[in-house]
Order: sequence, then structure tokens, then C-alpha cells
Amino acid sequence: MRRLVLLGVVLGLHDLDPSRCSGQAMRAFSVTRPVAAERFLHVTLDFGGGTVVLVPASAGELYGLQLRYDADRSAPVQQYDARTGILHLGVASVGSMGVRVTSRAQLEQTARFEFSPDVPLALYATLGASDATIDLGGMTLTELEIRSTATHATVDFSRPTRGTCKSATFTVGAAQVDVRHLAQAGCEALRVDGGVGGASLSFDGAWRRDLSLVVDLAMGRLTLQLPRGTGVRLTGQRFLAPFDSKGFVRTGGIWTTAGYERAPHKLTVELKASMVGIDVQWIEQR
Amino acid sequence: MRAGNRKAALLFVAALIPVGRLMAAPVRDGGGHVPERVRRLLLATLLHDNGPTPEVVQPADSQGHTVNPAHLDQPLQLERELRASLGKPLGATRLSVTGGSARIGHYSVGSDETIHGHVVVLEGSAEVHGRVEGNVVTLDGDITVFPGGSIIGDVLSIGGAVHKVGNGTISGTVQALEALVTPPAGPPASIMGQILRHGAGLAGLVLTLTVLGFGLVTFGRPNLEIVSDTVTHSFGRSFLAGLLGQVLVLPTFGMLVIGLALTIAGALLLPFAIAVYVLLVLVTTIGGLLAVAHAVGERITHRRMARGIVVSPNSYRYVVTGLGLVAAIWLGWVAFGWVPVAGTLMLMAAGLTTWTVATVGFGAALLSRGGIREHFAGRLIAPEMMTDEYLWATPQFGVPAVQRPPKQPE
Repeated sequence: MRRLVLLGVVLGLHDLDPSRCSGQAMRAFSVTRPVAAERFLHVTLDFGGGTVVLVPASAGELYGLQLRYDADRSAPVQQYDARTGILHLGVASVGSMGVRVTSRAQLEQTARFEFSPDVPLALYATLGASDATIDLGGMTLTELEIRSTATHATVDFSRPTRGTCKSATFTVGAAQVDVRHLAQAGCEALRVDGGVGGASLSFDGAWRRDLSLVVDLAMGRLTLQLPRGTGVRLTGQRFLAPFDSKGFVRTGGIWTTAGYERAPHKLTVELKASMVGIDVQWIEQR
Repeated sequence: MRAGNRKAALLFVAALIPVGRLMAAPVRDGGGHVPERVRRLLLATLLHDNGPTPEVVQPADSQGHTVNPAHLDQPLQLERELRASLGKPLGATRLSVTGGSARIGHYSVGSDETIHGHVVVLEGSAEVHGRVEGNVVTLDGDITVFPGGSIIGDVLSIGGAVHKVGNGTISGTVQALEALVTPPAGPPASIMGQILRHGAGLAGLVLTLTVLGFGLVTFGRPNLEIVSDTVTHSFGRSFLAGLLGQVLVLPTFGMLVIGLALTIAGALLLPFAIAVYVLLVLVTTIGGLLAVAHAVGERITHRRMARGIVVSPNSYRYVVTGLGLVAAIWLGWVAFGWVPVAGTLMLMAAGLTTWTVATVGFGAALLSRGGIREHFAGRLIAPEMMTDEYLWATPQFGVPAVQRPPKQPE
């Protein structure tokens, strides 16, 4: 009898063991859509955390997404309205919240977005806690807005874009954003809004038009890489934001490069910066 | 060939085919994926015994399951609905498809066939040699469009992949959602393992607090002692102050942020102010907790000395002794936390006690302004009371205080 009771206790304890851990549930999702008669694509892209890659799609493909996501906390989003050309793509938060203590590799979300370079594209991307590598080279951009929080984002216009781009806005929270070949973006108005973060803007590449840039940074570091010979006019308000004025001539509150009026390409910079280290680097035009 | 031998031969053939991505292969044109498809088919043959018998799913009654595959932008929801509709046995499945039909098992559209409407295939793959004018959804199966085949609509493969072979076309969106494969749960941790894990966590926490306590004693002993004395002499007041402080932490933070954001200079200081505020709250909480540990340790040490035990009375000992007592509260949970109900109760009791201790410490730190003000420490008389009359009447050095003579009976 006593043995039976002991056996029951042991079995009971085994069944009551609360520490059975469940495995992680990562899941893959893919979506593609062929080009039909679309006149433009208006994309809202959301990706909470992980690694993001955005590249031009292969010929005949309107958009594509290959996603690996945490199925316990996220869900893929893919909503396309062929009539309006509006597309929502990415992941949305669902399920349980809070901090999950596990190895990073287990829960590494990855997303690869692809968009047709031939269809005019207005892209509004929100990236949180991500490493983002975005190549918009050769795309037909009409408007670009990238908001990144706690992210390191690299945006590259590796080839000159096509079409008429109205504006490109980069909003950084506590993030670092590096924009390369910005001259090839062809966006008339460029804007960088930042909280606590850094921005590195490189204007190398083939200039498509004169550009205007507005930088509004609260705290952090701004690096401007400018090709020699570019006409630069810098105005704005700075508070505790010193910058190396080598190469500039000051007239009142305006800083201009020598020969600004005769320069083949002009860049107008309006700066609103407080407690920002401003670094101007002159690079050779390639 | 006997069945066993046939399966072994098939398995051998499957193993010979180069391994591709088995699950949720990305959607690409067929050529390069044919071997993989063959392999999948072989594996399906081996593992699933060709799946369920293909048959048409009868529509559900008005209370039954209905899906609408006209819009495939909620694949997870559709998956849930389809899985919920599966009957046991599969032949008992009833499902209504808005604008289409459902089938169980492998389904093939012949080259001379045209299907009008959506097609839902459960527990099987869909092979399209002909034409489908509608959306195609498979649950736990692939979708393959063969040369000459076309789907005029969107496709979604849940737990499978989508293939286009040759000039097979899909006009709409192509989605593939991998089967949700949750890795098998690890072996259940033993009770001893759990005790050790909890014990290690507790030891780590106590060690960290001990290091912080030693740092506080070394670099801020006067402040620590004032907070500690405030705990001792104004325990109830400290608890109430701590409680009030906890309630006001967030509103104060909000007011601070709003107040600073209203002015330009304030807005510039906002990031610093936020960081400093958070740091202050943390330091006050941890410092308060250590001060309570100091006070408790001091009391215990003095009692031991009163019993004639020779110990060195110093703040380091006080902190260690006090933290040891706090840790002892958690030891019960460490040892018996695995017991279902009692473990939870122990956790709650230990948590409540620790919260009380932290609240008292937080309040004492607030009352003493971080160990600067001694008003509630019971150590000094307020400066305004230090009158000449008081100083004249009160012996300051060398004169032992005389006890008040007992009252004589009338």
C-alpha cells in the first residue's frame, strides 16, 4: 500500500511539473504578384524587428515578400487592392507581448521585400528594431518615406532612379541611417528628421537635379559627404551644433561654397540642429 | 515486391534526389524545382500513404463552417477556419465555400477543364492542367500549375508551396504559408533542476545586490545610514511615503515631460531629464532596499552582541545580514516553488514581502531626501530646538544622564 502511495506521489509530481517549455514557432511566408496593368504602386511597409532587405524585383514581378517571422507574436500582412494600387505589406504584432528570453538567432525575423523597378512606386516604410538594407537603385520612385526607430538602416540608390520623385524623408528615432548615392535619388526635396540618432548622407553618384535638404536633428551626429565642386548653400538654426566650415564662406547667417552660383549642381541645406555634431566631408566625384 | 521493400526502395530514391528546401519553397518557375517536387511526392507517398481519398466536401448547414476565399489577405485566419472545419474522420468534413467548392485529398484540373469559382483543397495538393477562374487555396498541400494550365485569380498554399511549371500562369497574388512546425518540447526539467535554476537566479540577484550594497557602503555610507535610521525610526511613515511615491512616480514623470516639452530650453533638456528621472527612481528603489537590509542587519547584529556573541559591527555585515534575510524569504519558493498551488502562494508571499520592504526603503529614501535629511532618522534634534536654554540644561560631554527618580507614593 505504501509503495502504491509513493508511486502515485512520484507520478503526480511528474505530471505537475510546470517547467515543460514549448518550442519557438518561427514560420515562413512568401508572396509574389506579377505585373499586370498597374499604373503605380502605393506601398505601406511595416516591419517590427529583425533583418530587412529591400531590393528591386525581377522582371515581370510587381512585388514580392519572403518572410520568416515569430508566429507567436507576429502575423504577415499582405493586402493589395489592384483597383487603387495600394499595398500593405509586412508584419503586424499579435499574440503575447513582453520580453522573451532566448537566443537571438532563434527568433531572428527576416524579410526580403521586392518591388518592380518599372512601376512608379510611392514607398512608406516603418522599420522598428531592425537592421535594414534598402537598395532603391533603378526604381521608379515617386515618393519615399522611411521611418526607423532603434534601427540601423542603410539606404542606397545604387543606380539613378527613374521618374519624378517628389520627396524623400528619413525619420530616425534612436537610430542610425546611412544614405548612399543620394544624388541619384532624384528626389527634389530631401528631409531628415531625427531624435537621438545619427545620419550619414552621401551625395555621391550621378546628379539628376539640384536638390534641397532639410535636416532637423535633436541630438546626435550628422555627416554630409559632398562631392567637390558641388554648390552648397547652408542656412538654419544651430544650437550647440558646431560644424567644420572649411570650404564655406559665411555671409550673415548663410554659408555657401565658393563659386556656388556657377556650380553645375546645387544643394540647399536647411539645418535645424541642437546638440548635433555636424561633419562635412568633401569627396571626389566619381 | 513486398510493401516493405517497395517503401525502402522509394525512400532510397528520395534520398538520392538533391535536398532542396523541403517546406515552403519560394514560388518560382518550375524547372529547377521538379526534382524537389518529385522528392516531395515520393516522401508524401511514403509518409502519408497518398493522403485521404479524394472526394467533394459537402456544404455545411447554416450553423456550420463557411469560408470566403474571395480575399486571401488574411491567410492565418483562413487557415484557422479551414483547420476548424476538418472533421474526424476527414470524410465527415462539412464546409461551405462562398463562390466556390471544397474538396478533400489530391485534386487535379484536367487540360480540357475550366473551373468557374474558387477552389479549396483540404489535406491534399491541387494540380492545374486546365483553367481555373477563381482563387485556389490548399491546406497542407501544394499548388502546381502545369504547362498550359492557368489560374485566373489568387492562390494560397497553407502548409505547402506553389509551383509553376513551364508556361503555367497565375494571374494574381501567389502566397505560400509554411506549415506551423513547433519544435518538440524539450525534456521536462526535473524538480531538482528547477530548484537549482531558481536557486541560481536568487543567488545571482543577492550577489548583485551585495556588490551594490558594498559599493554604497564604501562610497555613500553617511547617506545609507541616514536612510537606514529613517527606516528604523519611521517605519510606518516610510511605508506610507513609499506607497504614495509609487503612485506618483508615473504622474510626476508625465508632468515633468509635459512641462519641459512646453518650452524650447526644456525640450532640449528632455532626453537628459528622462534619463535622470529613470536613474533616480532606480537608485532610490535599490538604495532604499539596501537601506532596509542595512537596518535589519544592524538590528540582528546588535541582538547577537547583546547575547554575548562577538561579531564585528560594521555596515558591510549589516548589509549582508539583511540581504540574507530577504533571500531567506525567497528560499521557500526556491525549494517548493514547483508545487502547483503552494508554489504560487509562496511566490506571491515572497513577492509581497519584498515589495513591502522595497516600499519602506523607497519611502525612507524619499523622506530623507536620499540620505541627506535626518528629520525622520531620530538622530538629531531639529536646529530650531537648539536654544541656549536647552544647551545649558543638557549635558553635552562626560556627564552620564541621570534617570528620573521614581515617583514617591503619595
